[in-house]
Amino acid sequence: MTPIYLDHAATSPLRTEVREAMQPYLHESFGNPSSVHRWGRAASAALDEARATCAAALGARPGEIVFTRGGTESDNLAVMGRVARLRADGLEPTVVISAVEHKAVLESAEHACARGAGTLVVLGVTASGEVDLDRLGRAFERGHVLASIMWVNNETGMLLPLARVAERVREAGGTLHTDAVQALGKVPVSVDEPGVDLLTVTGHKIYGPKGAGLLYVRAGTALSPLLHGGGQERGLRPGTQDVAGAVGLAVALDLAVREQAQEAIRLQALRDDLEARVRATVADARINGAAAPRAPHVSSVAIPGVDGAALVARLDLDGVAASGGSACNSGASAGSHVIAALYGSDDPYATVRFSLGRATGTGDVERAAGVLAAAVASLRGGSA
Amino acid sequence: MSRVLVAMSGGVDSSLAAALLVEQGHDVVGVTMKTFCYSATPGHGKTCCGLDGIADARRVAVSLGIPHFVFDVEEDFERDVIEDFVAEYAVGRTPNPCVRCNGYTKFGGLLDRGRALGCDTIASGHYARALHEPDGSVLLRAVDRDKDQSYFLWGLPPGLLPRLHFPLGALTKPEVRARARALRLATADKPESQEICFVPTGDYRDLLVKRLGPRHPALESGPLVDVNGDILGEHRGYAGFTVGQRKGLGGGFVEPMFVLEIRPETREVVVGPRDALGRDRVTLSELNWLSAEPKVGDRVGVQLRHRAPEVDGVVIEAGGSLTLELAHPVAAVTPGQSAVVFDGERVLGGGRILSASGRRPPQTLPSPSAPRRTADPAPRP
Repeated sequence: MTPIYLDHAATSPLRTEVREAMQPYLHESFGNPSSVHRWGRAASAALDEARATCAAALGARPGEIVFTRGGTESDNLAVMGRVARLRADGLEPTVVISAVEHKAVLESAEHACARGAGTLVVLGVTASGEVDLDRLGRAFERGHVLASIMWVNNETGMLLPLARVAERVREAGGTLHTDAVQALGKVPVSVDEPGVDLLTVTGHKIYGPKGAGLLYVRAGTALSPLLHGGGQERGLRPGTQDVAGAVGLAVALDLAVREQAQEAIRLQALRDDLEARVRATVADARINGAAAPRAPHVSSVAIPGVDGAALVARLDLDGVAASGGSACNSGASAGSHVIAALYGSDDPYATVRFSLGRATGTGDVERAAGVLAAAVASLRGGSA
Repeated sequence: MSRVLVAMSGGVDSSLAAALLVEQGHDVVGVTMKTFCYSATPGHGKTCCGLDGIADARRVAVSLGIPHFVFDVEEDFERDVIEDFVAEYAVGRTPNPCVRCNGYTKFGGLLDRGRALGCDTIASGHYARALHEPDGSVLLRAVDRDKDQSYFLWGLPPGLLPRLHFPLGALTKPEVRARARALRLATADKPESQEICFVPTGDYRDLLVKRLGPRHPALESGPLVDVNGDILGEHRGYAGFTVGQRKGLGGGFVEPMFVLEIRPETREVVVGPRDALGRDRVTLSELNWLSAEPKVGDRVGVQLRHRAPEVDGVVIEAGGSLTLELAHPVAAVTPGQSAVVFDGERVLGGGRILSASGRRPPQTLPSPSAPRRTADPAPRP
């Protein structure tokens, strides 16, 4: 039987439209966009076009788009670049993040604040998606705040209360970054609603190329670059641009935003069906974050009394590709910081994340639920 | 066609084991245990020394067209292998970390994991044989006695043995290399691992200093004494010594001197001539049996070190510990090392050497030269 891919939150296949749009820039239009000759002009025009498309998709202006090599790089540039800039301006930065941020934000914030370079405040998040906003409010008393709060959590699909965070940050005159990697194409995303200063996008979660991302930088938000060596991307991301990557990202982002409303309805119906089936067959399963508002593509299923790594392996052998927690860290299955934040570090549940995408249909969800139920029964000591 | 879990370390042996099982038509699932990480630069991120092995195992698995999974057992490895290693040296004994790793970390969880993955059989690239007969399963030495790794397997969970399979048990190492090359396995010419994996520099003293602190008695200087208790000099910490060791005692002795005993309570390292090394009575603790436990009066073979020759012995005490009287005195019977008990080719089980007594000149000498300063690491199958 054909295996089913239910790990779209890890990565997604390239769309045909994206591949076709990228093709010329891998071959005949190979020029360096910084060159003055015709090859350079062709590349530069494509890059401008891609930048304009991305800006339009996000409700931004083209000059506010900085192409990067992916989500992790964008997160690092936003957090470390902003902290470095504040320090260069003689200010004392305070970085406020949620406890469920992606490691790219969590660890760059820790790094940026190491050795007294800044103060790091980690806001608790409840299983119903509430963030400790009082603590955020108190952080402003310390000095200039960079808040980095993700739009949609990658492990659970939970939506964080970004609008309320944005309101607080705006009132206090701070800077707000959001990692919108899991939000794009699944929920409506715009830089002005709720109003963010920095926003991370990556291509490969929305059927675009890997290694292509962008950071939206609101006009007037000053950053220091992390890399040095050229003036590309307004000096914020030097290095010859990946034109094909930028073109692919633009097409993917444009399609994701256009199709979002319709696709979200379809994905939510599939996810609800999956969860209903799981609840019916694995009686003691818990859906992580079910009490919170959620994006429609992720179902984080927690099951007590099984080994999570073995369960994910068994699902793969039985034709269902899912992941434990998130798909990062080769080989590591150390407890997820996200689940620990929501349910405590001694939570006895193993988590399997199913994430749905364009190719997912009703039959897939039905089969996945059946395979999961059989695997759980087998792991719990039934027949092998 | 049954489903087989094969433990793959990323070395040539387990790679070929997997390949042979595929050739035989089994439904094979490769599994690698991620045992150990060390910080490349203190305070900065983690680099996994095992990741190269994991990558090699995965490469081979993909080329064989079999699934491959990595299970993180770092916490188990830390507790069962590294902490034990440090604790043993701290009390003046010489551990076999590879035995602990095989018995506890690598095979310990494989039965459950195998069941979870729907595998009836667990296979590895060890040079040993498992024979399954209607009246039970037995573990045997490899056909190639030069490569035999049964010494490392005495600590296996007994419940695992009926499900074990060692595809290389009848092959020699050159045959394994040749077949791996013929199959164009990516690991065909990979060198053997020789160091203890969590001591990549080869100097375990650094690890002990880090874990025990530089002021631990095992690392403080102490007296070097002869059998009469006369002080001959000073040493730099008894954790640096192994019973039977010749090197590192300094010069100036009329005849070659060997470590006879380590006395942690007084920090004394007792040395003496080769003649004083022999022991013909050995007591084992932490016993594990893969077949019926030997009884008083049973004649068995016992191997007291990796690559050491087997010695005949008679069980004179059995129960919570096992005491054997050896047919002749053996040099360098080292507390902490594994002693594996055989009946002919068959591994009955074994234990750790608790103590040795019965001083008489040895008939077998430390071979080929002086014993190594550290426990012999097992080639990683």
